[in-house]
Amino acid sequence: MPDGSYAHPQQRQFNPYTENGGTILAIAGADFTVIAGDTRQSEGYSIQTRYAPKVFRLTDRAVLAVNGFAADGNMFVKTVKQRLEWYRHAHAKDMPLRAIARLIQTMLYARRFFPYYVYNILGGIEEDGSGAVYSFDPVGSYEREACRAAGAAQSLVQPFLDNQIYFRNQTPAPGTSHPTHLPLPDVLAIVIDSFTSATERHIEVGDGLEMYVVLAKGRSTQELASIRGAQELTPKEGGDRIFVIRRELKKD
Amino acid sequence: MSIMELNGGSVIAMVGKDCVAIASDLRLGNQSLGISSNFEKIFAMTDRVYVGLPGLATDVLTLREQFRYRLNMYTIKEEREIEPETFVHLVSSALYERRFGPYFIEPVVAGMQKQPNGSFKPFIAATDLIGCINFAKDFVVAGTASTKLFGVAEGLWEPDLEPEDLFETIAQTMLNSVDRDAFSGWGAVVHVITKDKVIKRTLKGRMD
Amino acid sequence: MDHFPTNWGRPRNELYDQYNTFPLHHRPANAQNAFADGVQRTQQPIVTGTSVLAIQYQDGIMMAADNLASYGSLARFKDIQRLQPVGTRTIVGASGDMSDFQYIQHILDELTTEEFTYGDGHDLGPAEVHEYLARVMYARRSKINPLWNALLVGGVENGKPFLAYVDLLGTTYSARSLATGYGAHIAIPLLRTAVDNASQLLTEEEARTLLTDCMRVLFYRDARSLDKYQIATVTSAGVSVSDQLKLDTKWDFAEGIRGYGSQTQ
Repeated sequence: MPDGSYAHPQQRQFNPYTENGGTILAIAGADFTVIAGDTRQSEGYSIQTRYAPKVFRLTDRAVLAVNGFAADGNMFVKTVKQRLEWYRHAHAKDMPLRAIARLIQTMLYARRFFPYYVYNILGGIEEDGSGAVYSFDPVGSYEREACRAAGAAQSLVQPFLDNQIYFRNQTPAPGTSHPTHLPLPDVLAIVIDSFTSATERHIEVGDGLEMYVVLAKGRSTQELASIRGAQELTPKEGGDRIFVIRRELKKD
Repeated sequence: MSIMELNGGSVIAMVGKDCVAIASDLRLGNQSLGISSNFEKIFAMTDRVYVGLPGLATDVLTLREQFRYRLNMYTIKEEREIEPETFVHLVSSALYERRFGPYFIEPVVAGMQKQPNGSFKPFIAATDLIGCINFAKDFVVAGTASTKLFGVAEGLWEPDLEPEDLFETIAQTMLNSVDRDAFSGWGAVVHVITKDKVIKRTLKGRMD
Repeated sequence: MDHFPTNWGRPRNELYDQYNTFPLHHRPANAQNAFADGVQRTQQPIVTGTSVLAIQYQDGIMMAADNLASYGSLARFKDIQRLQPVGTRTIVGASGDMSDFQYIQHILDELTTEEFTYGDGHDLGPAEVHEYLARVMYARRSKINPLWNALLVGGVENGKPFLAYVDLLGTTYSARSLATGYGAHIAIPLLRTAVDNASQLLTEEEARTLLTDCMRVLFYRDARSLDKYQIATVTSAGVSVSDQLKLDTKWDFAEGIRGYGSQTQ
């Protein structure tokens, strides 16, 4: 009230969540997967940092992208990594991708009544050598898909992916059919276009782009040779291989 | 319940090389219930000026008549047809008159603007529900699928598209955007406007 | 005799249920449950410190904070140090609730002492201190009982500079220039221009001038700030916190502005 008194008793509640913006995206190919995310971290209209990774390598064949509340995201990745380490010590091998997916569901649902405010996309190579993407909601519902966008610019990117990856609303020329999986260079081009578009129209997206490429065992790295600045993260050549590609995005 | 999302619907306009295109979906709904799959939201104001009116359906009809009336008055007074840029200002002032009790419509205008030398230049613009004009050089969007339209258009559109390519671009943008929007869809309509003709095509879309 | 143990110790409502006919699980509870409104631990900061600024420069990390602890709009304590050295190569700067900060100082003290008593030749560097604080802050927010602070942790480890942020939500990030509170809005644009977008690192003198300029701008525009402040540096030589400094300020512009100075008309 104008006289300084309170008309109603005031109650303030601590809000344990916030939104830190950004967008993530993953696309599966026949024998590879691309998992990408921008590197901006923001709160409201403030950019906290221009480089805060949202995409993390879990094993030699699994990469996890997290988006939403950054503190929950980092904590979640930390605990997933810990569980994977325990698994490795117990079984002397890396956990397979579909098992990691189920582990993530269980871990998310365990917090059903105080959820991790995080959208997860898990990408990598399945035991049969196929590229796979698993997407999750904050409480653990999940599904295997060929492509998925999540985060601030999900609504901008997902319909574009429907069109370019699933060929929705496109009729193939008579006697031909759409490919079920796109080649790696095409996928990378679509990922980059998706993020430049999202950066153009969404204030929470920008600064930098980090793309992880997971290649199935024995797959040629030929197509990556022509990609500027592709950096390998896996030490050994015998198994699946992970590469990271970084690009600048607009900073305004 | 948002009034802007009561009936659903979306419109987009794009600039091409010596042409413009404007497209809308055909759905009319009552929240999540679909009512009609033949509710056009794009209207010809002159041979070269088209307006799309996504938003509250009752205001679509009201504003269509309102603009028809104001346009007739303009044509009689000026003894010439209105230009698209002038028409956008007419739209803007008509909406701003109702600044504190607005029509729940976000109009999109597309047309060919006559130049002093007699040639025609593509023109598009959009306003918010109280008449703030956005003159864009590439594309404008409005309606319940606007965020999706922005994303897809930003990915597909490029400068100087020929009429047939512009049609393909706007049609793909529209169809893929409304397929991710619960309040838009049920078919679409596209108008491609050039200096001497307008091609209208009705598109089949997903009916779910 | 009331045969229902759940009713024992409660006054019976004779008007409502004279003959105890009401089913057990429907009986009206006469006593007010102590937890009916939930456990109340919602809080707000009381005595607060304003912005902390920090940048990376040639020799390591430089951090600045003023000496004020406010009680609402009252400038309550004007000689509070908000820059705390931890171990040999780390500095922690705190904004937000000062009693929570003192608690944090206490637990960091215990932590370094415990680490020292192991006598294994290891101690905590900036990355470890930041990680520890991040875990503490996140754990407390997860109990809905936060430590109401935004902290900057700076230091040098093996010749490499470290600078990171953590707040009451457990949110963390790092960059070459950081600021909390109003500083994030007012000082960050100046710091980023001079530090992040510069082609080379700042010298100590340039860094000191930059932070002083930012502290001055904050003093002009942040009503909860003070012109008395300190600057800390962490270099490979160790941590040092300056004596109390005073900002040079100019107010002569106010002369010409009506309502700002002491004009009568």
